[in-house]
Amino acid sequence: MTSSSPDVLSMARVCKTFPGVLALDNANLTIRAGEIHGLVGENGAGKSTIIKVLAGVYVRDSGDVLVDGVGFDYVTPAKVHAAGIRFIHQELNLVPHFTVAETVFMGQELQGPLGVRSTTMRRAAEQFLEEALNARISGRALVRDLGLADRKLVQIARGLVDDKAKIVVFDEPTAPLASAEIEQLFAAIGRLKQRGIAMIYVSHYLGEITSICDRVTVFRNGRDVGVVDGVGPKDAPRIINMMIGREISDLYPAKNHRAGQPLLKLDKFGDGRHFRGVDLEVKRGEIVGVAGLLGSGREELVEAIYGLGRATEGRVQFDGKPARISSPSKAVDCGIVLVPRDRRNDGLVLDMTVADNVNLASFEEVTTALIVNRRAAAARAAALAARLDIRPRNVDAVTRYLSGGNQQKVVLARWLATGSRLFVLDEPTVGVDIGARAEIYRLIEKLAADGAGVLLSSSDAAELLGLCDRVVVLLRGEVTADVATSTLSLDRLIALTTGGETEKKDRR
Amino acid sequence: MTDASVAPRAVRTGGLLKSAASLAPLAIFLALLLYLGVAAPSFLAPGTIALILKQAVPNVVVCLGLATVVIAGGDDVISGGIDLSIPAIAVLAAAIVAQLTTIKGAPIAFALAAGMGAALIAGLVNAFLVVVVGMTPLLATLASSSAYVGLASYVTSSRRIEVGDPFIVYLRDGSVGGAPAGVIAVFVLVLIFYFAVHRTRWGLNLQAVGGSRDAAEIAGLFASKFIAQSFVLAAIAGGVDSVFLLARGSGYAPGSEENLLLEMILATFLGAAFSPRRIVTLWGAVLGAVLVAALSIGFGSAGVDIFWTGCIKGGLILIVVASSAVSRNLNR
Amino acid sequence: MKSGTPIVAVGRPAAGWRDVFVRYGFLLIIAACFLFFALYNPSFLGVGNFKNIAEGSAVLLVVSLGMTLVVALGGIDLSVGVALDFGSAFAIVAMKEFDVAWYAAIAIGVLAGAGVGLLNALLVVRLAVSPFLATLGVYFIGGSVERIFTHGGGPISFRHLPEQYYAIGIGEVLGVPTKVVIAAGLVLVYYVLVERSIIGKRIHGIGLQPSAARVAGLKVKAYTALGLVVASATCAVAGIIASASLRMFTPLAGNAYLMNAIAATFIGASIHPHGRPNVLGTLVGVLFLGMIANGLNLMGLDFNVKAALSGIILVAALALAIAQKRLR
Repeated sequence: MTSSSPDVLSMARVCKTFPGVLALDNANLTIRAGEIHGLVGENGAGKSTIIKVLAGVYVRDSGDVLVDGVGFDYVTPAKVHAAGIRFIHQELNLVPHFTVAETVFMGQELQGPLGVRSTTMRRAAEQFLEEALNARISGRALVRDLGLADRKLVQIARGLVDDKAKIVVFDEPTAPLASAEIEQLFAAIGRLKQRGIAMIYVSHYLGEITSICDRVTVFRNGRDVGVVDGVGPKDAPRIINMMIGREISDLYPAKNHRAGQPLLKLDKFGDGRHFRGVDLEVKRGEIVGVAGLLGSGREELVEAIYGLGRATEGRVQFDGKPARISSPSKAVDCGIVLVPRDRRNDGLVLDMTVADNVNLASFEEVTTALIVNRRAAAARAAALAARLDIRPRNVDAVTRYLSGGNQQKVVLARWLATGSRLFVLDEPTVGVDIGARAEIYRLIEKLAADGAGVLLSSSDAAELLGLCDRVVVLLRGEVTADVATSTLSLDRLIALTTGGETEKKDRR
Repeated sequence: MTDASVAPRAVRTGGLLKSAASLAPLAIFLALLLYLGVAAPSFLAPGTIALILKQAVPNVVVCLGLATVVIAGGDDVISGGIDLSIPAIAVLAAAIVAQLTTIKGAPIAFALAAGMGAALIAGLVNAFLVVVVGMTPLLATLASSSAYVGLASYVTSSRRIEVGDPFIVYLRDGSVGGAPAGVIAVFVLVLIFYFAVHRTRWGLNLQAVGGSRDAAEIAGLFASKFIAQSFVLAAIAGGVDSVFLLARGSGYAPGSEENLLLEMILATFLGAAFSPRRIVTLWGAVLGAVLVAALSIGFGSAGVDIFWTGCIKGGLILIVVASSAVSRNLNR
Repeated sequence: MKSGTPIVAVGRPAAGWRDVFVRYGFLLIIAACFLFFALYNPSFLGVGNFKNIAEGSAVLLVVSLGMTLVVALGGIDLSVGVALDFGSAFAIVAMKEFDVAWYAAIAIGVLAGAGVGLLNALLVVRLAVSPFLATLGVYFIGGSVERIFTHGGGPISFRHLPEQYYAIGIGEVLGVPTKVVIAAGLVLVYYVLVERSIIGKRIHGIGLQPSAARVAGLKVKAYTALGLVVASATCAVAGIIASASLRMFTPLAGNAYLMNAIAATFIGASIHPHGRPNVLGTLVGVLFLGMIANGLNLMGLDFNVKAALSGIILVAALALAIAQKRLR
């Protein structure tokens, strides 16, 4: 890549204001032909806004956008598509009962005098998938029968099959994928690069960004704060620094909790399908992590502990007594609570107020003779909102419009209001920007310091190491390691999680 | 329903159990028919097939309409597409045709044009309610059907009207090369609908919109347009059905929309069991309509009380939807 | 720009007509209709006429309460007419054929209605059928059962009703018709339960987002089942009131209330600040529909004309209510 490479995209001094919010403040983004360009930044830093300006979803207030040196104005999404700029969204948005061919050609079907040319479309789809993405998928296969990686590739094929793509924007492409699938995706991206297509790769996963991208632009506070050239893994701390403007070591709080009596004890716990023979223990005042890839059984284990899934083998003991958790309401009665992975669907009632969400599991506390005391409920919610620093502070605000981090805090507030003893956290910081993340980590630490037990299920190895006392690793449904974090390094934890290394469980 | 809920895990679930759940209604249906064949030997006579087909004719047409709406709106009855007003539209058009041609003595062509015009307006109203006002199709068509039925009673003063026009009589009694004229006409109609919905780009786009509105819009399709078109098409089907209704009933009879509604829903959703992809399709709906008609004829041959017939059909609807719900849950 | 501050694409600031419509839309419509009927026929404004409207709306109000409960839970109940009919049928037959005392007959009627609700609950909660399809199926089956039971759909009359039962239909309490008192009492009970009590908070949570409610530890299935049963039992009470007035059970009479109950519920939801189905809003919706029916009556229109107009007005009212809710 020589420095005289023509820029295929040049966005300069772009400004965009919404009522009360300056979203883009003279932001710049330059993409060279044939490069893979990473775009990173906290939520709210402006990276999604500038992408939406590029996509024609937002109209910029000022600044220049040049595609191949030519001014690109008065754009609509259709015009953007015609110009060869394609977007691969995080959401797959596929029709489960469509065939691969029908999906790839959706909106651009080939039609002849006798109707659609199904055979031609099928062959063209298969050919494109193989040549451009290194994927051998049958055009007749139904989307719902495909694995996640194949579905992602089909989604990509749909955006590129007309061979007119010049710039492809990937938005968090690997979020639901496991490492083998990520490798497959990267291979496909490499193929695209060979064809000379420029790519913008938006992601929170710095590990991937540093391994696959040629250059990275970091956004903070509505503008680009730096471009890192020749990016590699060594650049991760520097990138994080640019993203948050402070040291990485601030992220995880000092450990201030001490383990006490056993709280949750799983004995040969299994559901007969996704996980088997799991022995796991969480003590009061202890933070135990659960690591595992997609398909390792980690998600199902968490759900089964909370009563969302059914366990068929083994025993559960809570606080020394046998417990049968068959539904979330039973779990909550015991004192086990869950902060779920899908915050917007399962965590909050989005269209209810903060106050109602906070009190949702504990309205009994502010109820007399069946009637809810509104003032007491609001006061209770306000107190918790202050304690957790939920912004905006207005507890009558509807939770739908809060940021991811604040929504997560509302969920935590709800459980704090019930005085629960075991907190099961499932990917608590997904979609939460670094600033809010640090606050949530402090909250988790405080939970343990106050004597609650915490079970933290996460795909972020750094998070597990930074917070937990021990980490249990699940691989293909079985526990392959149960190790104190003081003896673990990041590399070793990742190796254990991906099966690169196995470890005997160390006895306590 | 996001893609995540149709996770690869589903593939590991016993495919056998899944198939059983979605085929259960079909199995029960066939068992019923078998039982009827045994209980009433006259049911198995060769003339019965023709009888069944003739009986099925008005049902098939409304099923085509409903299937089109469901295909465009999605299988999920609550948030997706459904049109409960098609029978009401058919009855309204029939009322207009009967009133104009028998009572007012207008030429049949004019009466038919007026009926179709009313159906078109009804379709536009439905489309407006769903796409512009934003009502869920369920609510919109439930409400609009009461308006169309009200209008039908206004037009006819709630009277029964005989129709003896030669065209209508031909549809009822005539034959084309040995086959009943009505059946041939409907068969042609089915072919037209099939080609439009399954073999054209427009049709594939329609299916895409129904399969996943987000996916379709990202692919550049304007979902509202297709949804609106599906409602108008369904209403047109209802309008066309009026002539077949008049033929079968030899005239207009108030209150005929309720039974038609029952059979239309049963047939269309039962038909999903016939498709390899287990979704509502046109041919599935047609086949469903024929089976439902067979059931009616069969019950008649076996001397089953007509009210019991309604009860059993209601029960069948419950079985159909319960098993589709079960199989959908297994697919998670 | 602080981290954590959401970037929300805000539309143009509310101004002028649109804003007025959204906030007061339906109430304006109600006022307009009121004015129209008053001008057309001044006897519309008489106290006696208001009493008529109230009396005529009592049965619909009770049915709409049940519907409001089910819609607040996130579903819909198309079998309300069946529950109403079962309530009146079982009560009448119990008294006529089995000489049961009037209060026991009422209990039997309510239980019969609850039975219909139980069937709905079984389908929706146990078999995970969508509420629409489940109650649609019960609607069809119920209709058929009623036809079978009455050998073709004829009414069952009982001229010599126990007078206490008859009093429900035509009696008065301190100058107010008994049925209005019963309906008002139920409104009060429902209001307290659904809008002010802890049960109501849970109902709304479940109705808005059942998956989140479940994770929050709410007993979603239990509440859904209970809601369906209570709603149907309430409709049975409506049936008892209806049969008391006419001294007979008319099969399939309940269906006439279905669309109106749905309309009233959604009109009520459009009045609510958050667009939620609510008891007081439903009351307004019922009175609105009652006013329309009364006004059309006073205009002296033909029965078929009224049928057509009522249908059209219903669609228009529902469309306006929902448009208003969506623009919010």
